[in-house]
Amino acid sequence: MSTTTITDEQLETMQIEDGKSKLRKWLNMNFRIEMTDGRVLIGVFLCTDRDANVILGACSEYLKGVDGETEEPRVLGLVMVPGRHIVSIQLDDTTPPQMYSYDE
Amino acid sequence: MGDNDDYYGDGTMEPMGAAPEVIYNWVDITSDFFKHIQDLQLGELLHDGHLFGLFEAMSAIEMMDPKMDAGMLCNRGNPKPLNFQQAVAAGKLKIDDLEPAEMIGIMDATMACIVSWLEGHSLAQTVFTNLYLHQPHSINNKVLKAYCIAIYKLLDCIRDCINKAQVFEEEDFLPMGYGYRLGSNPQTGNSYDARLEVSEQKCVLMLREQEEELNKKVRESSTDEDDSVSSAWTGLACRMRFIRMFYQALLLITKKDSQSGADCVALLNGCSDMMKLSIKTAKYGTQPVENSDSPNPMGFEPMINQRLLPPTFPRYTRIKPRAEALLYFDELVTRLRHAWKITSCTNFHTALDFFMEFSRQRACILSRSALQLLYLSPSPANTASMAQSAMNGPIGQPRPQHAFVEILRESIKCFVNPPALTSKSPMLSTPQAREFVENFLARCVRPFAVLLQVFGHNRARQRDKLALLLDEFAALQEEAESVDAVVSGAAGAGPRACFGTWVLYHVLRVMIAYLLAGLELELYSLHEYHYIFWYLYEFLFGWLVSALGRAEGLAGEAGRDPRRARRHKKRARPAAREALLCNVMQNMCGGYYKALVAFKLQGKIPQPESEFDNEAVRYKHRFAPLSVLTPPQVHYHEFCEMTQPLQYENPVILYLGGCKHFQQARTLLETITTPDQEVTDLLKVVKTNFVVLKLLAGGHKRDSTVPPEFDFSVHRNFPIIKLV
Repeated sequence: MSTTTITDEQLETMQIEDGKSKLRKWLNMNFRIEMTDGRVLIGVFLCTDRDANVILGACSEYLKGVDGETEEPRVLGLVMVPGRHIVSIQLDDTTPPQMYSYDE
Repeated sequence: MGDNDDYYGDGTMEPMGAAPEVIYNWVDITSDFFKHIQDLQLGELLHDGHLFGLFEAMSAIEMMDPKMDAGMLCNRGNPKPLNFQQAVAAGKLKIDDLEPAEMIGIMDATMACIVSWLEGHSLAQTVFTNLYLHQPHSINNKVLKAYCIAIYKLLDCIRDCINKAQVFEEEDFLPMGYGYRLGSNPQTGNSYDARLEVSEQKCVLMLREQEEELNKKVRESSTDEDDSVSSAWTGLACRMRFIRMFYQALLLITKKDSQSGADCVALLNGCSDMMKLSIKTAKYGTQPVENSDSPNPMGFEPMINQRLLPPTFPRYTRIKPRAEALLYFDELVTRLRHAWKITSCTNFHTALDFFMEFSRQRACILSRSALQLLYLSPSPANTASMAQSAMNGPIGQPRPQHAFVEILRESIKCFVNPPALTSKSPMLSTPQAREFVENFLARCVRPFAVLLQVFGHNRARQRDKLALLLDEFAALQEEAESVDAVVSGAAGAGPRACFGTWVLYHVLRVMIAYLLAGLELELYSLHEYHYIFWYLYEFLFGWLVSALGRAEGLAGEAGRDPRRARRHKKRARPAAREALLCNVMQNMCGGYYKALVAFKLQGKIPQPESEFDNEAVRYKHRFAPLSVLTPPQVHYHEFCEMTQPLQYENPVILYLGGCKHFQQARTLLETITTPDQEVTDLLKVVKTNFVVLKLLAGGHKRDSTVPPEFDFSVHRNFPIIKLV
């Protein structure tokens, strides 16, 4: 019985580390966040917290046009997106590999 | 820092899409992300500690916050707006065969855009959402073409007028043109074509031609059975006429020359009539589609200039509703007609009063600017900066002659009539004395021109500017005193503080305006009122009354000559009224002050904890700008000493004292035979407060600790006391 509990705890700590380190890996990568009102923000993922409030740097705002993303973006700079307004998050995996090496 | 740039610059969009195409490979991580963040503690931030911390986080814009996120309101996913050629090609923009109704719609919407611009929005988001204005020369319809070209010229004229007057702040007016060549040529971009240049005369001529054409149409259609056809042509004709006359009038104001007086009045009167007619015929134009951003169904693209705007700009501006915009123009013309009256104010003091009165009506930026230009050419702002550069120039250079110097000289003559300024005075025989006087007058130019300029600014900005001006007046006072000494010495007579009195009078007025502005702008807390009113009652108004008295004495002394006596009497009358009003206000302030002390004694006014909110600190802060040489500032410890005895007074006695003050003010006000709005308002305040204090003295609500209300709705500076 007792051994199982320990394993559980261990597992839990591993998961915590796993969640945080996954997030940490994504830092400084490009995020594409769609908000509840349909706008799309593309910027560098800089910071987040438990409520999924996300701070993006060098952010541009795209209006969802009929024909995709052809419209001119609006440069916003540093923005904070409240977690409750996030519909979806996408990650750009074309970011150069040196970003990955940062955390490893 | 270079490191930082690497991270930020990597893979992100360059501003305005100038960068080469970036290829992304998006992978959805929504569910993973939301799962992982649960591993964070409450309040824990996950961030790169080296590059990004809480401090940086503070400056982020919060999305979906209506105050910070300007893009939130206007996000409707509209298709890309069409420009002029595209819209014409798509058949969405008629440049030929426009119906009168369509043209009235376009014109009224354009007016609405101009009003929005004049209320502080950007040109790109208001007037230049009108596609017709992008290429007016490509319009085939002659009426609309002339109109659009005239709008171009008008915008330029308006901007010129406002820029010359220099009485705007960022909240009043945005002067940027966004690449639209306002002045030179009604064309956008770099495709400048000199052949298309339209001079002022040609523009007016074009408008006149079209006016006549339209008048013909009106006559032709008057036989038509359908009444609305003829009315629509009439509406169109009066709009053309309005724009022509308004443009001409504004040109005369901006490039003011003295012969044009009668013309300008006639033009403005004509504008008034035409605008009334325009308002009546507005219903014959096409109306904006309900719930649409566009001010008119055809010709307007609210988003067309989006690329021209800086990033933090709001995506879109609400255009003023049409009916309100036309009314705004109607009132604007009325204000301009009123502003024209400044040209008959020969005396500086009456002019200054006119400026203050005009400002009180919270006039718009264009009429405020016009007033500046009408009084001094080119403008007080210009006069001030010219005087400044003359002062900084090498000594011994001949002074440039300002018209304003003569105005000030006349003002001093009227006010104190110093012997040094009367032509045959023996004092002028010494060249040194004369030089002193002339130097002093030249020095006066800048502060007094700035004073006029300050009263042209919006109400909220005036207070700080007055405080700054007090410093300059302090220097002027010193100078005035030394001139008085020299001039009196040269004449071998006793000292007569002629120039000193004149400057002192203006310093006191500025000080009073400064303190009263705090009341109007609701800057003071209730527990501060007592020393504000005390200062006004005990010192400023008292000093002003005595300065006026002294001035009258000085002027009288010099005017003992019987031939001048009659003329002098005529002059004295406005001064008498001014002194009387000063007396009234002094009494009113006394009334408030005594009532406030009594309120305090009865515990009706909540006091702040002095540890956190110290009265001495507040007092010092409130009166800091008043620390000029003469009159000396009254410091906090003096205030405490002087008001000490009242702390032990019976509140009933204080209320009765206040009552007496209001009673006195009322008696004085009632001696004015021709009361204007100001006097009527004051009278109402005085009467009400008298009754309220009488009730309080009788013990009404004695034990209530509910604070009394001070209601500024009748008069901006002097409130009605209300018991609740």
